Amino acid sequence: MDFLPDVFNISQAVGQWLLVLLVGLVSILFITFVSALIGGGVKGASRYGDSLVESLSDLVSVSSTRCYALAKLTFTEAIRRKALFVFVIFAILFMFAGWFISDSNQRPKEAVKVHVTFILNSLSWLTMIVMLLLSCIGIPEDIRLRSIHTVVTKPARRFEIVLSRMLGYIGVGTLLLGVMSVTSLIWIYRQVPEAARSELTARQPIWGDISFLDRVGTLTNAGINVGDIWDFRSYIEGATKGRAIWRFENVTPEMLTTVTSESGEKKEALRLESRFEAFRSHKGNMNRGLNFQYIILNPDNKLEVPAATLQVAEFIGRTDGIPRKLAGVTAEDSGKIYDLFDDLVAKDGSLTVAVACTDPGQYLGMAKPDLFIRLPDAPFALSFFKAMLGIWLFMVLTVALGVTASTFVKGPFAIMVTFTFIMVGNTAREFMDKLLSNKWTGGGLFESAYRILTYMNDTTELPNNPGTQLIKWVDWMLNGFLWLVQQILPNFSYFNMAGYVANGFDVDNMRSLVPAIVVTIGYLIPCVLIGYYCLRSRELEAK
Amino acid sequence: MSTDVATSTAAFGSSTQFSAGEPVISIRNLSKDYRDFWGRPKVKALKSLTMEVRKGEVFGLLGPNGSGKTTTMKLLLGLLFPTEGEISILGRPATDVSKNERIGYLPEESYLYRFLNAEETLDFYGRLFRLPANVRKQRTEELLELVKVSHARKRQLKEYSKGMTRRIGLAQALINDPELILLDEPTSGLDPLGNRDMKDLIIKLKEQGKTIVMCSHLLADVQDVCDRIAILYGGELKVMGRVDELVKEQDATQIRSSKLSDAAAAEVREVLRKHGATDVQIDQPTSSLEDLFLRTVQESKERPGRRISV
Repeated sequence: MDFLPDVFNISQAVGQWLLVLLVGLVSILFITFVSALIGGGVKGASRYGDSLVESLSDLVSVSSTRCYALAKLTFTEAIRRKALFVFVIFAILFMFAGWFISDSNQRPKEAVKVHVTFILNSLSWLTMIVMLLLSCIGIPEDIRLRSIHTVVTKPARRFEIVLSRMLGYIGVGTLLLGVMSVTSLIWIYRQVPEAARSELTARQPIWGDISFLDRVGTLTNAGINVGDIWDFRSYIEGATKGRAIWRFENVTPEMLTTVTSESGEKKEALRLESRFEAFRSHKGNMNRGLNFQYIILNPDNKLEVPAATLQVAEFIGRTDGIPRKLAGVTAEDSGKIYDLFDDLVAKDGSLTVAVACTDPGQYLGMAKPDLFIRLPDAPFALSFFKAMLGIWLFMVLTVALGVTASTFVKGPFAIMVTFTFIMVGNTAREFMDKLLSNKWTGGGLFESAYRILTYMNDTTELPNNPGTQLIKWVDWMLNGFLWLVQQILPNFSYFNMAGYVANGFDVDNMRSLVPAIVVTIGYLIPCVLIGYYCLRSRELEAK
Repeated sequence: MSTDVATSTAAFGSSTQFSAGEPVISIRNLSKDYRDFWGRPKVKALKSLTMEVRKGEVFGLLGPNGSGKTTTMKLLLGLLFPTEGEISILGRPATDVSKNERIGYLPEESYLYRFLNAEETLDFYGRLFRLPANVRKQRTEELLELVKVSHARKRQLKEYSKGMTRRIGLAQALINDPELILLDEPTSGLDPLGNRDMKDLIIKLKEQGKTIVMCSHLLADVQDVCDRIAILYGGELKVMGRVDELVKEQDATQIRSSKLSDAAAAEVREVLRKHGATDVQIDQPTSSLEDLFLRTVQESKERPGRRISV
């Protein structure tokens, strides 16, 4: 797999979220109080107090009956406004997609990857666009047609209106996604070439942490850079002390599976799956892959037991069983049998596996996700539906953002605001993170422009004069704004779980699913509050 | 609209706190400025309005277009926020949502959800009042009968005529059996029959002790049903009082009798002149065009195919 998100720290995230929410609330309350005081004096402050009490009462007096009525109204409205026409687009996609994405020359894994990626990305964007349009025009249309007058003059609270609008649209989105996901799954099973259907699986990996030893055996953060611009993988040199070392935590005998050896013998083994990349500094033997070897280490007693030498299966990957019983091969322990769990798993339950390249002068490239313990596979459908859950959460967030935007601007503007939010969050986040990481040479927007105009390279110091000081100050301000945007924007990458499914993995709960749920809830709550506040503080007249 | 309105009131729990004649709406120095994008006052829609509406009366807000009638109504309902002044409606501020439990509102145009049918519409509004399912059902039946659209209960409102939409709008305003009913141009879009039905209904509701505030610029309608009126012009209150007192001509006397012969009429004229009467007119009284229309329709129903003699 070419990506592996970090494990999400929920407690830290929730703590930070609470802090931001608290600071935001206090700031808003302070600013609105001061505005009321300036605008209306003591009377204004008193009215502000009343309004605050009414707001709190609105929040605690939510009625499920009214919410149900309003959500049902929203649902009916969307359906009767022909939202289900999306199925027609969906059907057209399905009817003709096969023409363009099926290729008889594809390797099985590639075929699965192309089909699954196409389906999940299509569903994600199709749902997002439909829900964006629906959620952004609901309330503004209600205000324009003044039908909202007949609702707010009943005991319906504006908080209930915002909440129910969201729930209604989520209902519509759930219906759309439910139908489309089941159809998609059937389509994948039927459309993927027969030879590739065995690749429709959900491998359950146990990921480890990676570290490197350089050619003389010194611990380093990364291996050798062979000049590849994409520095995802780093390399170890063959036939030296260079190693890539993985440490897997909480390894237990329950992870063992029964494997059948080439001789037909069945034995218990720990399945390791690898996908390393070879970099040949000379041709060598072109009829085989580079040789590598697993070495099991026990840091407690410094025991090192090498397993059999294997060949790299480039672009495909390979799965090998490390047998529970390993024979010693060095002069001191020749003939001795080691038990994987009794002798090699450390006291803290961790297993350390080193990978060495045994071909002199050749290099083996590795990254953290390139080696993992493979547990028994889960059904492909499970992984697929987890990815659909990710799309559902993305839809929920889109609806929340759309409805919130529609409480303070008209429909077309709400669509524009929400779409910008989603697009920037989806596509520019990495760029923004990089800009704010201070690893960027050449300065900010204005400094870069200045350098371009004056033909100055990005490492030369700027001359010290008031003009350049001003440029730096403006850039600093812009960076501050960018930081704020970065903090506000949701990390949409959590919602895209297509990578797991397309690569034949089960969606990682702690790395993707839980963060996506937490992020959705984290944005949903402030969205409802902001939407309520905006709707409450505006006069419901079409202007 | 002859069916009785008052049914299943116990389910609504809207116990009246006001005794007859007590003010249920109280407005003090109410002003409303409409502002432009930059917050600068653009139009002064209402200028320091002070008035009261008492329990059990039918109160009419009159005035030409742009006089501030609808603005007043919307301020009462919390749809707009006042620039200055205070409103108390059923003893609560206009922004208090809980007051809406006891209010029914018919907007100027019936701004309903056009994709719902009549039954769904009333059921939806009933749910907003948290009425139990059986009460909602019963109430929906009664109101559909009352406003005479039960034959079109399954049709979406977008297929309704303006008059029918108006009727369903009225039904939604009465779904909670409200204590206070606000009607914005209640007769607009209705044919003369519907108009008369609406007026009859307003009188019936008044008889049941409801308080009704209606705004209209159809003066005949207001005169027929209102106890008191306020006339607004340019956002200012110009006249307020009882209709019968306001329209009474203080310096004229009207005598009415069965039809007199020409000789008898001349004699009466002579007697009146003897008592100092000037500008004496004796002729046959005329009925209103509305009365003529209603009579014609009624007779046409009773004797189809025959020309009506006037």
